[in-house]
Amino acid sequence: MNITKTLDAKGLACPMPIVKTKKAMDSISSGEVLEVLVTDKGAINDIPAWATAGGHTIIQQKTEADVLYFYIQKAT
Amino acid sequence: MSNKVAIIAANGGLFDAYKVFNIATAAAASDKEVQIFFTFEGLNLIHKQAMHNLEMPEGKEHFAEGFEKANIPSIPELVEMAQELGVTFIACQMTMDVMGLTKEDFVDGIEVGGAVTFLEFSKDAAPTLTF
Repeated sequence: MNITKTLDAKGLACPMPIVKTKKAMDSISSGEVLEVLVTDKGAINDIPAWATAGGHTIIQQKTEADVLYFYIQKAT
Repeated sequence: MSNKVAIIAANGGLFDAYKVFNIATAAAASDKEVQIFFTFEGLNLIHKQAMHNLEMPEGKEHFAEGFEKANIPSIPELVEMAQELGVTFIACQMTMDVMGLTKEDFVDGIEVGGAVTFLEFSKDAAPTLTF
């Protein structure tokens, strides 16, 4: 997987992870992959819901040491 | 599917402010067109001075620590974020007249309007929320 950009949103509370993810996504091109790191537990459901609303695809998601990792491919 | 979210902010406490601006920024970040109509105490939320000192409900002041611990952004930060994301703020003209307030009392970039302005925007919005 080619990661184009990484967003470190650890320690941020709702709604900042979504707001920052949107901004980071705006800065990459269609088909490119954004890696998002968050610790806000609300993001477990929020990031996928946000991605679906925008037509983006979550190609991978994992949890390591209380950090959530999302790999989101930008909609074409 | 509607791409508009309409919000009425009618209360002026700190908790009210978070309810309004969290939903508004999340909606705007999801590419929704968002408009907030601030009326009565809701005007506090965008008042240049009042927005810095919004009160918590009586007896709930101990939550201040929780806000800090959870690293919650301040209301002025959320206001700026909302505007940056393109959220439209409409201050209720009638309430401003009653309270003797002018456009200059509020953060820059707001619009002033009446109930019809909001109704026109919200007629095809989903959801319309009131806080």
